[in-house]
Amino acid sequence: MDTNKTVTAVGNHPRSSRLRRRLRRERELWILSAFILVWLAVICYYPMYGLIIAFKYYVPGKPFFTAKWVGLKYFSQFINGRDFPIVMRNTLAISGLNILFGFPAPILLALLLNELKNKHYKSVVQTVSYLPHFISWVVAASLLFSILNSEGFLNKILVRAGIIEAPINWLSKGEYFWGILTTANIWKGVGFSSIIYLSAIAGIDEELYQAGAVDGLNRTGSIWHITLPGIRTTVVLLGILQIGSILNAGFQQQLLLGTTQTRKYYEVIDTYAYKYGVQNNNYSYGTAVGLMKGVISVTLVLLANRISKKVMDIAVL
Amino acid sequence: MRRYYKETHGTKAFDVFNVVLMFLFMLSIIFPFWNQLCVSFSDVSTYPVSNITVLPLGFNTEAYQKVFSDQRILRVSLVSVMRVIFGTTGTLLCTGLLAYITTIEWFSGRKFLRRAFLLTMYFSAGLIPTYLAFISIGLYNTFCVYIIPGLFSAYYMLIIASYISNMPTALFEAARIDGAAELKIYFRVVLPISIPVFAAIAVYCAVDQWNSWFDTTIYAPNGQWDTLQIYLRRVLLEIEALSMIEDSSKALSKFKTLTPQSIRAATTIIVTLPIVCVYPFLQKYFLTGITIGAVKE
Repeated sequence: MDTNKTVTAVGNHPRSSRLRRRLRRERELWILSAFILVWLAVICYYPMYGLIIAFKYYVPGKPFFTAKWVGLKYFSQFINGRDFPIVMRNTLAISGLNILFGFPAPILLALLLNELKNKHYKSVVQTVSYLPHFISWVVAASLLFSILNSEGFLNKILVRAGIIEAPINWLSKGEYFWGILTTANIWKGVGFSSIIYLSAIAGIDEELYQAGAVDGLNRTGSIWHITLPGIRTTVVLLGILQIGSILNAGFQQQLLLGTTQTRKYYEVIDTYAYKYGVQNNNYSYGTAVGLMKGVISVTLVLLANRISKKVMDIAVL
Repeated sequence: MRRYYKETHGTKAFDVFNVVLMFLFMLSIIFPFWNQLCVSFSDVSTYPVSNITVLPLGFNTEAYQKVFSDQRILRVSLVSVMRVIFGTTGTLLCTGLLAYITTIEWFSGRKFLRRAFLLTMYFSAGLIPTYLAFISIGLYNTFCVYIIPGLFSAYYMLIIASYISNMPTALFEAARIDGAAELKIYFRVVLPISIPVFAAIAVYCAVDQWNSWFDTTIYAPNGQWDTLQIYLRRVLLEIEALSMIEDSSKALSKFKTLTPQSIRAATTIIVTLPIVCVYPFLQKYFLTGITIGAVKE
């Protein structure tokens, strides 16, 4: 009986029945997906609605939609403001230093590790190098404060070696902040970031090295002509990505290491938006600053993706 | 790695240099931790902190006694542990399920689901709108604010999905023909064969949960759900505030036999120790994760 029914149904409405059958087959998956989509809507997309307060005069505690429209007032307030040049300078300088020194560091480490003869020693160095990645920035900041304060051991070494006359409280001096931050970023990330380059190096065909040796390549030559070209794709890809995220100059580091004395050097767009938005209750202004940064960032990342697709024929993500 | 080039004095000299350089590199990583360990066990009432470098001077455990005598440390440790357990399990089960669903080729919502998540990798509401939204949906100042927003992650979805999609679909189809429900297939078939990638993601999640502190500052600032990291941050801020006081001897006299430095050192060691003890054994797993992620890229 049942089969008869189905046959006639197919005869009358073939399309809707196929759809129904399909839905019945996928029912379970749709129920599961519904839960996931509810989560997505509430946690990821609902907050985006709040972005409209960037264009409104929002008073905390009142609903968004009753707030008065002010257009681009907060955007121009930020761009024409007194803090803008400093905040932009810090963001670009810190990011630039990260690209200039932080980007090549793991490549160099991977090359040096690859040249170690003793396998056990190599794996010990690698294991130790991952450690800073696994500690929080709070711990890293605590270590830095204790190394760099006037009673810390850096001062002791430098004073004893006669390089400086009196101990310096390094973290309270703005002019050293960028250097300290860049060093800390490298210290924390270099080991873990080198993993991807090491695995790229491991993927290079060993026959290339044999052939190179036959052709009389020495050690530097085989690094320059075989290893480096072998990891070129990875390097270019990650490089483009990093340039794309140039406005992300870090956030936690600055909040943890920055002090009132160094504010002129550590304040970047993200910390600025956070301070004005959450700490000073100026939600609209903070949102506007964040939104502006977000829009530029996404454009840069998409552009970077486009370029990497063109240049390397590989899409990132 | 085998070597094919000719060994010369130059290459031998470089080998020695390289070994020494890598040793110094390791030293630069281990020494700060070692120094803190020494400070935390030193007798700081008789020796100035600045004299402590490679070995503890004197020996006492007062700093640790002081830290553990604070009632709050137990609570904050518990919150940290709960974060790691519930956060990691939740993310694994939920993101794993999402990843599995996006790999079922005949599912018509597959592409939509995947794209809806990929979009979140580029666009996010940003700090303040998210903060306001969490207040309005009641996540503010709750323990759930550590767990729920992290249940699904687009990035982990990509990694897990690329692993699952390398599995023969016949495995899942066979279970489906046997009449198994999708959730059952997920728990009985997908999870067991995807242990390596789940282990890798578990390491990332657990470390993230253990180390995060900023979410407490912004989403749970009332102190009820403070974690170990926030506790350490408070200690840091207190010391900073103390050092701001001009007449520091007056401020320090409050501690008598302890200096703020030794308390900070002890707290730092307590927060770091679990990770230091665990991570070398998890290497295999997080390395797997990176390789899978790299293949995807």
